[in-house]
Amino acid sequence: MRTALGLARPITGTIERRPGLRLAYVPQQSALDAIFPISVLDYVLMGLQGLGNVTLLRRGAHLAAARRALAEAGAAAFERRQLRDLSGGQRQRVLMARALATDADLVCLDEPTNALDAASEQEILALIERLRSRRGAAVIMVTHLVEDGLERADRALLLDRDHGVALAAPSAAMRTAPEFQHIYGRFVGRHGHAE
Amino acid sequence: MNADAINPAAWSELWANLAIFKDAIWAAGLAGALLGFIGVHVVLRRMVFASSAIAQAAALGVALSFWVPALIDPIGHAAGHAAGPTAHLLPSPLFEPVLWAIAASLLATLVFIANPVRLHLTRESMLGFVFLVSGAGAVIVGDKITQESHDLAAILFGSAVVVQTIDLYLVTAATVVLLGGHLFLWRALLFVGYDPMGARVQGMPVRALNGFLFVSVGLAVALCTRALGALPVFAFSVLPAMTALAFTSRIGWVFVLATLVGAFSGVAGYAVSFRAELPVGATQSATGAVLLTVALLWRFAVALRDRRRARNQPPSMSTGSTAVPAGSSAPTTSPASERASTASAPRTDAA
Repeated sequence: MRTALGLARPITGTIERRPGLRLAYVPQQSALDAIFPISVLDYVLMGLQGLGNVTLLRRGAHLAAARRALAEAGAAAFERRQLRDLSGGQRQRVLMARALATDADLVCLDEPTNALDAASEQEILALIERLRSRRGAAVIMVTHLVEDGLERADRALLLDRDHGVALAAPSAAMRTAPEFQHIYGRFVGRHGHAE
Repeated sequence: MNADAINPAAWSELWANLAIFKDAIWAAGLAGALLGFIGVHVVLRRMVFASSAIAQAAALGVALSFWVPALIDPIGHAAGHAAGPTAHLLPSPLFEPVLWAIAASLLATLVFIANPVRLHLTRESMLGFVFLVSGAGAVIVGDKITQESHDLAAILFGSAVVVQTIDLYLVTAATVVLLGGHLFLWRALLFVGYDPMGARVQGMPVRALNGFLFVSVGLAVALCTRALGALPVFAFSVLPAMTALAFTSRIGWVFVLATLVGAFSGVAGYAVSFRAELPVGATQSATGAVLLTVALLWRFAVALRDRRRARNQPPSMSTGSTAVPAGSSAPTTSPASERASTASAPRTDAA
């Protein structure tokens, strides 16, 4: 994912990016530094910064867009609170709000459901679905929710260093792939998600 | 403070002689404001020893500015010594100690701009490297220039009781230019410091912004060290930011408060040192430390009050998220349940 985002050089091959392609990255919650006193609104406003708007000097002009994104993510009620003071589920919704505010063509999510309870997981997955269906954004997501991921994704990429597996396939075909069955076959279909 | 220290006559003495001391007071206030503002980034990025390491690099630069001319032209240098202190101090504008201090400081900042993760090192360890190399270098070179050692000490830890006009001009110019740049870029620098990966993905010029931050830290520390001394410069770049962060969680106010606390520490510290006949730099640093202590006590009292309030409140069934997006089911998130969920997460990722 880092290579696709241009954060790391490819070991082989090249990455081509369409000019003007807007990207957004939703990090893992653990990557956020709790020392920084960042309010929820300020965090979402960061999503509106970029090459054409580095300084965000006219903050007021972007407030409406940030608040719209917060409302869409169900996080409007805590816009004045500190990001570090929120629960994991609340914080993940704020992270999603920033991705919504970015209005990106391609959104990359790193374990967006990590450390969440089942209800919050479903909320975040619904928000991701909204990003895709209503905003028309392509979504790349790293997840351990194998069943949910395959249900929602068009294509899946299975990477497993332990078993030496790197397999890309349409989600439907992935379920029946021998490599996938070897690793996940005994989990998928019996429970809500891989355990 | 003893009874003699609150004698109003001495305060009036300071006021009466303001014309003599005003340059030093201005320099202290401006340096405190500049370093207080920049210090917020330094503290948040966990680089509190950056200013200390850069000051050491400046020390090495000053020592080299004395040693190199002696190395290039030993006979002329010895003749300069024989002619008197003013004759040999500045053999050429190229060997002006402040220029060497700035050059060495900027060179040191290059180490911070480089990404130490690629070397499997932290930025903190690189700061230690710069500090030790510069410190050892300054001592070794200083040993070779014993005749200028008193000049070297004066330049490195310059007495702020009286500040040279040129130093005040340099500090003023640095404050206007660097503080102006930081005011223009403060949100960009904050984004890049808080979420560097997200900033890069969104097209922010992360390397250029970090370069600006480190170069501005290097310039500010080098120029202010020359005017005020190493100790208050280190104190101004750390303590006001810590004080502001303890007093408020609103990031805009953190910058405002750190700037004001830095300026106040410089001016009030100078006044107290004059009144109580204490060393200027140490008193300015101690003033900053007292303000930080007050802020931490206040923070502790607020936390204690909040804990008591929470204990007295009846337990509530609704925890975690309260806002529900239109058309979605009601969430029931709580930190405790999320922690429980984390424990069962499998290790293998599928993308």
